[in-house]
Amino acid sequence: MRQLALPAAAVCLWGQVLGAQDAVVYGTVHGESVGPLRSAEVVVLGPNLGTLTDRGGHYRLSRVSPGVVIVRARFLGYVPAFDTVRVAAGDSVEANFVLRPSVTDGLPFVVVGPVVVTAAKRSQLLDQAITSVAVVSDTELARRAVNTVDEAVDKAPGVQFLYGQVNIRGSTGYVQGLGSRVLMLVDGVPANQGDRGGINWDLVPLEEVQRVEIVKGAGSSLYGSAALGGVVNVLTRDIAPGFHARVRASGGSYANPPHDVWKFRDYTGAEEGLDATGSYGTELVRASVTGGGWHSDGYREQDRRDHWQTAAKLDWRPLAATRLTASGSWASDQYETPLIWCTRGGCDDRGQAYQPFMIDTAGRGAFTRSDKGYVSATLERTASARFAWQARGSWLRTRFSDYQPGNDDAGIANRFGAELRALAHPAEGRVVTVGAEGARSDVASDIFGDHSQNEVAAYGESEQRVGRARLTAGARIDYIAVDGGGLSAVVSPRVGAVLETSAGAWRASAGRGFRGPSLAERFVSTIVSGLVVIPNPDLHPETAWSLELGNAARISPSVHVDAALFWTEAHDLIEPNVNLGTGQIQFRNVARARLAGLDLSLSATPLTPRLTTALAYTFLYARGLAHDTVPERPLAFRPKHLLTLSADYQWHTVSAGGDFRYTSRFERVELYPGDERVAGKVLDLRVGVERGPLSVRGRLANALNYIYNQVPRTLAPVRTLSVTLTWTY
Amino acid sequence: MTTRTCGAAAFAVAAAVACNKGLEPALAPTSCPQGFVGVCGTVSFVGQVPESTARVFVVAFDTFPKSQNDLFKFKPQPTPPNLPLGGPAFFYTLPLPPARYEWVLAVWQKQGTLSPTNADSLLRETGFYRDKGDTTAHGSGIVIVNAGTGKDSIDFVVDFNNMHRVCYYFPPCP
Repeated sequence: MRQLALPAAAVCLWGQVLGAQDAVVYGTVHGESVGPLRSAEVVVLGPNLGTLTDRGGHYRLSRVSPGVVIVRARFLGYVPAFDTVRVAAGDSVEANFVLRPSVTDGLPFVVVGPVVVTAAKRSQLLDQAITSVAVVSDTELARRAVNTVDEAVDKAPGVQFLYGQVNIRGSTGYVQGLGSRVLMLVDGVPANQGDRGGINWDLVPLEEVQRVEIVKGAGSSLYGSAALGGVVNVLTRDIAPGFHARVRASGGSYANPPHDVWKFRDYTGAEEGLDATGSYGTELVRASVTGGGWHSDGYREQDRRDHWQTAAKLDWRPLAATRLTASGSWASDQYETPLIWCTRGGCDDRGQAYQPFMIDTAGRGAFTRSDKGYVSATLERTASARFAWQARGSWLRTRFSDYQPGNDDAGIANRFGAELRALAHPAEGRVVTVGAEGARSDVASDIFGDHSQNEVAAYGESEQRVGRARLTAGARIDYIAVDGGGLSAVVSPRVGAVLETSAGAWRASAGRGFRGPSLAERFVSTIVSGLVVIPNPDLHPETAWSLELGNAARISPSVHVDAALFWTEAHDLIEPNVNLGTGQIQFRNVARARLAGLDLSLSATPLTPRLTTALAYTFLYARGLAHDTVPERPLAFRPKHLLTLSADYQWHTVSAGGDFRYTSRFERVELYPGDERVAGKVLDLRVGVERGPLSVRGRLANALNYIYNQVPRTLAPVRTLSVTLTWTY
Repeated sequence: MTTRTCGAAAFAVAAAVACNKGLEPALAPTSCPQGFVGVCGTVSFVGQVPESTARVFVVAFDTFPKSQNDLFKFKPQPTPPNLPLGGPAFFYTLPLPPARYEWVLAVWQKQGTLSPTNADSLLRETGFYRDKGDTTAHGSGIVIVNAGTGKDSIDFVVDFNNMHRVCYYFPPCP
């Protein structure tokens, strides 16, 4: 067995190994001094051919294309190992792995960074991406013992969630779910809502998630609209051969208000959930099904929620170089809507200026039902050593009903998408990605009307290796037509470079991003606080130029640093405009903005290798530039400082750790600028034990029960204790 | 224990201590709070609150509305503060930008979806501030809000037995 450091270029070799007859790679995966590892992941990099080991630690990868392939074995708590093997057509090659625990003293080999698939729409080593990418691995997902994808992504460097709305380097602020400036993908398939453009973070059960990649900065040159501030790609698990099952049960409780004058109920709020996954696979076809749900009493008044979900995935590999994947999910939420908290006179205020755990009586009885689901299918074919292609189709459907006293709203939206993508290696050191994409969105709603939007796009990007440098250039053109009207075009170019030096890998990029207005922003027609919200069909896309200069370096065997300077100039931002003269609100292209700053992340194993620590810091200068009569001012809901400290200690099968997240006080907020506001200081603690097929994880979120809010008059989660028990077969 | 361990422990303790200060209970003010910009005062209540009440809130107009179209030029936007639905006298605070205001009033809102076209059926004037000695129909209550300070003693009565429709000010009533 060989454990090797991967040369930087090796990840692209997969395209050169194709032949007419299949080969087989087989072997075992052992943990150092613990014997066979069950359910370790073994993958042939490139074509993403993978499997899991059985109880004896055995694996078998058939349908491997002849040639030189890179095989990776990894398992939670162990350092991944790589092996480069040469297989001939019709031959079988054995590759055995012995994985070292990630906490043992002295690492005798270089640990190669993870492979990412989002930054360039193809597999590449993380250090070769021209923009910053944060990866939330399956190890971190398990360690954090969270229930939803947004909880898992929340602590990633440079990422901040504001009441379910994701911000990457301050991209979106808080716009109450209308129009995200971040694009969400599920296995590479766009999944922002067809009507509002927002993101349903509960679309995919967390049980199904393998890892999450977060690409920072404008990504429209490959992904088009909404990728103005970044892209979040939720990658689902590969299915292992044989029969596997997993049952996860969780329970928890919410802390009561820390002051008696804030008490709002006579019992302790609880949450409980149960989900199960079953899968069966052969070398030819594999399938998995997940189902479950959870209930929460919520941590404040009128905050109960029920959630049901199911998901399925099918993986068919009829030929060595051909793979068809189909997946889908459906989730339904029924939840009380707490709206804003109560201020003096709005409830039983007990003489207080505000009651953060209670709601205003005007919002009593508000309730929402939200259903969402998607299906997608992707056909991948590696046609030759130099050429591979894939085609995919997808359908995302969302439905909501807001029940508010005297003011019910509802809407159904669809988003149909299709993409054809090709990857070519026309010459040594050159990789070219080209593709075409189409999408149709429609909505039928009492407040958004009946409308549709068609989008077609073509894109291409080429990477050329020149010595130690990799130069990238590409562009995408999007055509958008609303309600069958005339086409409007948006061009999004991007250039970048990566230079590997003794001082680490330097990266630089400049790209243009855009976000087309959502159908909701164009056509919303409703009433808010007596003001009439009127449509604006003439809205045009908002755009931004993003520049980044970064460096990723391992400054010692136990310390890795990634730092990036970023600068974004945004134009024609879509924001609500209030006209008191007419009593109307309308979305308009009004603002110009500048977002610049520093992203720094550092991971280290100080003191003892059993202890892993991480620091992530983002400094953000976010200003709305002067326009019309509005002077320059801070952008609302953006923190100047965002700091996350993490530490985890592992001793055999027991682990313990925590995160501390500091969010500086917002310089400016909207709606209630006179309200007291504080910095966010949240400490999360966790502990876990694994024994055989069972694992128990405990989590104490907001351990100090720090009471704060980040969006107007909306209490952030209080201390929550949860325990998750997982059984794996 | 090594120096580095001590440093790490000290850092952890410092971080933990630093955490423990968030929002805390705040008694409702009885006079304009320091640094508050707007008007403050005491509202007392008369009469029985109608069952169809959605809410009662307090707003200000810099000039008295000249037509129904001006009714939505109130401040503060978009959501003025609520008043309780009756009960003992209530001290209110109304955040406003520094300016001269001609009309500070309480508005009763009936249950239902409010829009400019149905304002007459869903909104009632239910009390307003007036200068001493003023006898005009809508009241003359000039209030000057200066930068950096609150204007105190803008007291008035909310009378649920004597509420006025929009058309009372902009006749004729249908």
